Amino acid sequence: MTERDLAIRVEHLSKRFRIPLDRSATLKHRVTHWRSASRHRVLEALRDLSFEVPAGQFLGVIGHNGSGKSTLLKILSRIYQPDSGRVSIRGNVSPFLELGVGFNPELTARENVFLSGAVLGLGRAELRRRLDDIIGFAELEQFVDHKLKNFSSGMEVRLAFALAIQAHAEILMMDEVLAVGDAAFQQKCFDTFNRYKREGRTIVLVTHELGAVNLYCDRALLLDHGRLVGDGRAEDVTAQYRRAVGIATESADQVERWGSGDVVVTAVRMVDERGVEDHNPMTGGFVRLELDYRIQNDAVSDFTCFFGIRRGDGLFVTEVSLPVSQYAEFGESQRGAEGTVHYEIPRLGLLGDSYRLNAELRHRHGGPEAAYDHLENAIRFRVIDRLERPGVYEPGGAWAVTPVREPAVKAPDQVISSTQT
Amino acid sequence: MTATIEAGVPGAASPAPRSLSSFSHYRHLTLELAISQFKLRYTQSALGYLWSLLKPAMMFGITYFIFVDLFQINDNTRFYGIQLLLGIVIWTFFSECTAASMQAVAGAGGLIRKAYFPRSILVLAASLTSLFTFLINLVLVIVIALALRQIVIGPQMLVAIPLLLELYLLVLGISFFLASLQVQFRDVGHLWEVLMQLLFYGSGVMFSLTYVLQRANLAVKPSVVSLRGTAVTLHFVWVVALVAANPIMQIIEDLRHALINPQAPWTILVVTGHDAAVKQLHPLNAPWVAPIPYVIVIAVLTLGALIFRARARNFAQDL
Repeated sequence: MTERDLAIRVEHLSKRFRIPLDRSATLKHRVTHWRSASRHRVLEALRDLSFEVPAGQFLGVIGHNGSGKSTLLKILSRIYQPDSGRVSIRGNVSPFLELGVGFNPELTARENVFLSGAVLGLGRAELRRRLDDIIGFAELEQFVDHKLKNFSSGMEVRLAFALAIQAHAEILMMDEVLAVGDAAFQQKCFDTFNRYKREGRTIVLVTHELGAVNLYCDRALLLDHGRLVGDGRAEDVTAQYRRAVGIATESADQVERWGSGDVVVTAVRMVDERGVEDHNPMTGGFVRLELDYRIQNDAVSDFTCFFGIRRGDGLFVTEVSLPVSQYAEFGESQRGAEGTVHYEIPRLGLLGDSYRLNAELRHRHGGPEAAYDHLENAIRFRVIDRLERPGVYEPGGAWAVTPVREPAVKAPDQVISSTQT
Repeated sequence: MTATIEAGVPGAASPAPRSLSSFSHYRHLTLELAISQFKLRYTQSALGYLWSLLKPAMMFGITYFIFVDLFQINDNTRFYGIQLLLGIVIWTFFSECTAASMQAVAGAGGLIRKAYFPRSILVLAASLTSLFTFLINLVLVIVIALALRQIVIGPQMLVAIPLLLELYLLVLGISFFLASLQVQFRDVGHLWEVLMQLLFYGSGVMFSLTYVLQRANLAVKPSVVSLRGTAVTLHFVWVVALVAANPIMQIIEDLRHALINPQAPWTILVVTGHDAAVKQLHPLNAPWVAPIPYVIVIAVLTLGALIFRARARNFAQDL
C-alpha cells in the first residue's frame, strides 16, 4: 500500500490516565500536600497500538466497555493527546464524535443549527442555504423557532443527525451514534453510511452493535484492555469478540455431541420452501428444520425432539420440542427404525444476526443430562433482515389505528410547551 | 495534507478543514459561540439586553450617592460625574469579562470532550460577548456626555483606540490565566472575587490620580504607622506610585483624559512630574513608574497565553 492511499496511520500509540484516588481539586489540598506525591491510579487506556487505515475504508472498532475504543477515537479526533507514539492523518477529520455537540436547550432549533453547525465546520452562509433541507430532513418544519428544551428526545436526535450529515469531512469519527434513536432513525443512519461508502469517505465507527459492524464495516479492530487483540474482516473480528464474551466460549466453533446413543440424529437440515438447504434465511421468510433419526435400542419407548437456537454471542433465543413417539408408529422391534421430524416456521421472527441451532433427542421425562443424542451447534446460520432492524425478534404483529375524534386544531403532541421565543 | 499528532508536541500541526480554511472556520465558530452566549445571557429576563445598560447605571447611582453626596469625595472638577460613569463602565467590563471567561473552559466540558477546536476560542468568545456590551456602553457614555456638554472633542480622542486595545489585551491575559486554572482549581473563582474588591478600590474608579496626589499633598510628611508595635514609615509617594503602576488605573485615567476631560492629566505626565498642575500639588518624580502598567499588561498576556497553551491539551481529560 502506498503512502498516498493511507488515511490514518497509528504507530505504537499509548495513552495513560492518572486517576486521582482522593479527588479534591482544591488549592488547599495542593498547598497542604505539596510534598507528598499525589496519590493516583494509572489506567492504561491504550497500549502500544499500531494500525493503518487506507482511504475509503469503513472501519469498526469494537470491544468491551473500558477497552479503550472511545479513547482511541478521541485521540484520532485530536481531543486527547497521545502519551507516546504517533498518529498521522491525511485528510480533514470531522471534529465531532457524537450527535448534537454544542446543542443548547435554551436556544431554538434554528439557533442550534447555526451554533452546532459552526462546531462541525460549516459556514454561516452555507448553513443558511441548507437550513430548510436540514429542518425538512429532521421533520421539524413547524418547530424551527421553538427552544430545544421543549423538544422530545426523538426530535432532538433527528435534528442532530440532519445536521451531522451535512459535515463534509473526508474522515468521519463516530462514537455510538447508533445507540440513540428508534428503528426509523437507525435506518436513516444506515442509509447515510451507505452514501458515505459510495462517496469513498473513510469512517471509523465505535459501536456495540456487532450486526452493524458486520454489515457496514470492511474491517474491524477488537480492543481488549487497551490492547489491539483483533484486526481483520468484520465478520471474523465480531465472531472473535462474541467468542470472547459469550458463555459458550469453546463450543461456538465446532459441533459438540454427547448422549447415550440409544437414538441417534443422523442429519439436521435447514431448508427453504422448495426443500433446498439454506443457511441464510430471511426475516419473515419460510424455514423448515428437518431432523433424521434412527433408533438403536429396542428399549427406547419414547423420545422427544428438541430444537434450540442461540445467537452468535451465546444468547439463548428459543427452544421448541415435540414428543416424537406420540406421532410415530413404532413397530415391535424398534431397533433400526428411522424417521424425520419436521419443524416448519412459516414466518421467521429472528432479526438479522448469526445464530446456532442445537438439536437433541431425549427421553420424554428426562433432563438434558439424559440425552440420547445432543448436537451442539448442529447448524450455524445467518438470518438476513433486509430492513436492518435492531434487536433479536420481529413479533410479526399487525398495526391498526382507530381515530376516535379529529383534533380541533392540528397541534403537535411532542411539544410540551410551545412558547414563541 | 497530512497532520501528525505526536506525543509531547503541543498543538502539533493542525489539519485545516477543507470546507473552510481553518482560520475562517475558527473565526466563524468564535462568533457563533459569542452570539449564542449573548442570547443565552439575556434569555428569560423581561428587560433582556437592557440589563447590561442598567447595571452600570445603577452602580453609578449608588457610587455617586455614597461618595459624592455622603462622603463628599469629589475632586471638584466639573466632569466628575461623567468621569465616574466612564470609570464604572470600564470596571464593569473588566469584572464581567474576567468572570465570564473564567468559566469559559470549565463550563464547556461537553463541547471540549466531544469536539476538537482550539480551546482559546472559548475564552475569546466569552470576551467578545462582554466586549460588545462594553462598546455599546462606551458609546452611551459619550452620548450622555455630549448631551450634558461635558466632553471636549479633539484629536486626543484618538488615543482611546490604543488604550482600549491595551485594556482588552489585559483582560484577555487575565482571562486565559483564570480560565486554565479554574479547570483544576475551583478555588480560583473565590480568590479572584476577593482580589476584585481590592482592585476596585485601587483602580481609581471613583477617584482620579490627581485626587490621590491632592490627598498625598496634605500628608507630604511621611506618616508613621504602628504595625504590631513596629513603627513603619509610610511615604505617600510610594502609595501614589503603587496606584499609578496599576494598569487598570492607568487605562481608566488615560481614557478619561482622551474621551471626556483633556484637563485630567495623562498618567505618564503625573508620575514623571511633568504636568504643571500636578507639580503645584506635589513634587512627584517617579519616571520609573511610567512603563510599569504596560510591562504588567504584556507580562500578564504572555503568561496567561503560555499557561493556557500548556494546559489546553489536557482540558478534555481534566474536565
